[in-house]
Amino acid sequence: MKTATKVKSAKKPVPKAKPSEKLDLYSQYSKEYAASPTPGLVTVGAATYLSISGEGAPGGPAFTEAIGALYGVAFTVKMTRKFAGKQDYVVSKLEGLWPSFKDGEPVPDKEQWPWQMMIRTPEFIKPREIEEAVAVLKKRGKGAGADRVRLESVEEGICVQSLHVGPYEKEGATICAMKSFAESKGFKLRGVHHEIYLSDPRRAAPAKLKTILRHPLEAIEV
Amino acid sequence: MRAVTLRDYKRRILPVLTHVQEHLDNPLSLDELARLAYFSPYHFHRIFKGMVGESVKEYVRRLRLERAASRLRVGSASVIEIALDAGYESHEAFSRSFKALFGASPTQFRRIRRVLLSSTSGVHFRQGTTVQHFRTLRRGESMKVQVEQLKPMRVAYLRHIGPYNAVSSTWDRLLTVMGKDGYLGGSPMMLGICHDDPEVTPPSKIRYDACITVDDDFQPVDNIQVQVVAGGEYARTTHTGPYSNLGKTYMEFLGQWLPRSGRELRNAPCFEVYLNDPQSTPPEELLTDIYAPLAAEDEAARVRRP
Repeated sequence: MKTATKVKSAKKPVPKAKPSEKLDLYSQYSKEYAASPTPGLVTVGAATYLSISGEGAPGGPAFTEAIGALYGVAFTVKMTRKFAGKQDYVVSKLEGLWPSFKDGEPVPDKEQWPWQMMIRTPEFIKPREIEEAVAVLKKRGKGAGADRVRLESVEEGICVQSLHVGPYEKEGATICAMKSFAESKGFKLRGVHHEIYLSDPRRAAPAKLKTILRHPLEAIEV
Repeated sequence: MRAVTLRDYKRRILPVLTHVQEHLDNPLSLDELARLAYFSPYHFHRIFKGMVGESVKEYVRRLRLERAASRLRVGSASVIEIALDAGYESHEAFSRSFKALFGASPTQFRRIRRVLLSSTSGVHFRQGTTVQHFRTLRRGESMKVQVEQLKPMRVAYLRHIGPYNAVSSTWDRLLTVMGKDGYLGGSPMMLGICHDDPEVTPPSKIRYDACITVDDDFQPVDNIQVQVVAGGEYARTTHTGPYSNLGKTYMEFLGQWLPRSGRELRNAPCFEVYLNDPQSTPPEELLTDIYAPLAAEDEAARVRRP
C-alpha cells in the first residue's frame, strides 16, 4: 500500500525514499500516528507488520521471549538486506494488539491475556526473507520463538486515537474518553485495542510513559 | 577502615592545582598530573573537571592569562612579550582570549588595572603560593546511582579511531555484519568503550570500541575482534538525552557523585550501554547507562594517600 496511488488525488503523494536514504515508516505515515491527550479520529490504511502472538502477563517470560524473537527477526532481516546493499529502513516502534480488551476493559486475569506484538515493516519484505532470518537465528541458537514470527497485513480504517501518558495500568480513563468521543461522532468500537509504544519502560518513570492508544470504529446504525 | 571522603579527593586534587601554577611554562602531561593525584589516568581528567568545574586544559589556560594580567599590571613588558609567555603566537589571539576572560583587552586593562576574576573553583593565579582549598559543585548528590556486580562479558567489537561524533558509521558496519549472521538475536547488549576523552585527546586520535555481547561460539572475522569486559563491581547511572550530552553526565558522575560516594575507581575504562535504537528514538529520549568500574574497598584504602 502506497499513498501514491494511480488515482490523481489533490494531496501530494508521499515521496518514496531514495535507495540511499533510510526509509522511516513512522515519519512517512506520521498522520496515522497523530495523537494528543484529547481523542481524535484517524484513518489507517493497510499496513504490513512483523508479528508474534501469545498469551500471558505483559513483562512475563512468554511475553519477554516473544519480544526478543520479534526484534531478533526484525534486525536480522534488516541487516541481511543492508549487507546486500538493498534499501535500508528504520526498525519501527513496537506495537501491540490486545484482544482481551472487551469494550475497553481488559479481562481480570493478566496471566491469560492474549496479545499480538508487532513491528511495522516495509511492504517490500517478503515471507522468504523471514524464513531465511529464522534459519540463521536458529543456527546461532538464538531462534527461541522466532519461527512464530509472521508477516501480516492489517487494515484498520477509521479509528479513534489518543496519547496516553502514564502507567499502562491507568489506560482505563483514556479508553473511556476515547469511547465517549467516538460515540459523540456517531461511532462505536469494533475490533481490537491497539497500542503503539513511544517510550521505553525499562528506565522511564511510569508516570512519563507515552503510549498511543488506537481503536477501530464502525458507524452506529440508527 | 575509614571510607574515602570528599576531603580525601580534594586533598589529592590540591597538589595538582599548585603544580600547574608552578609549571605554567612547561608542557603538562595528563599522565604526570594523574600520578600526582594518585588517580587512574583513565578517570583523572573527568574527576578533575567534575570537581574543579573546568578541564585541566581550561585551568592551565586561565591561569596563564591571569599571570599575564598580573604582569601587565606591574611590569613594563610589552603586550606581545606577555602574549608569547602566555603561550600565544600573536597579539590578536592573546587579546581575544584575554578579553573573553576578563571583559577588557590587555591595553584597556593596563589603563584601568582592575578586572573581575571568576572561576567555579575560586582558585586564581598567585605567584609562589600553595593552593589550600577550592570549591566543588554539589550537583552529584541528587544523582541516581546503583552499585552492581557484573559478570565478565565477552564482546565482539570494531575499533573506531577518530572523532567521537562519527562512531555511528562504525556501529553501522558492526551491526550489519553481525546482524546478517544472526548475532542480533537473543537481545544482545550494545556497549561503547571510550578509551580516550574528547576533552583531552585530539579528535583524530580518539579510540572507541563499538561492542555487542556474544557467546563463546563467536570467532573473530575480518576487523571484528573479541575482548572480555572485566566483571566486578561497577557504579551505574542512566543518562537520558542525546549522546552529545554524555560528557556532562560523566562529569557529574565522576567529578561530583564519586568523591561523595566513599568509593574509588579501578584502573579500567568506563563503558556505556545503549538501551534503545537511535534510529527510531528521538534524541531527547535516548537512554544510556554509564558504568564506572569500582575498586574493591580494601584496595581503595591501600591506594589512598595517608
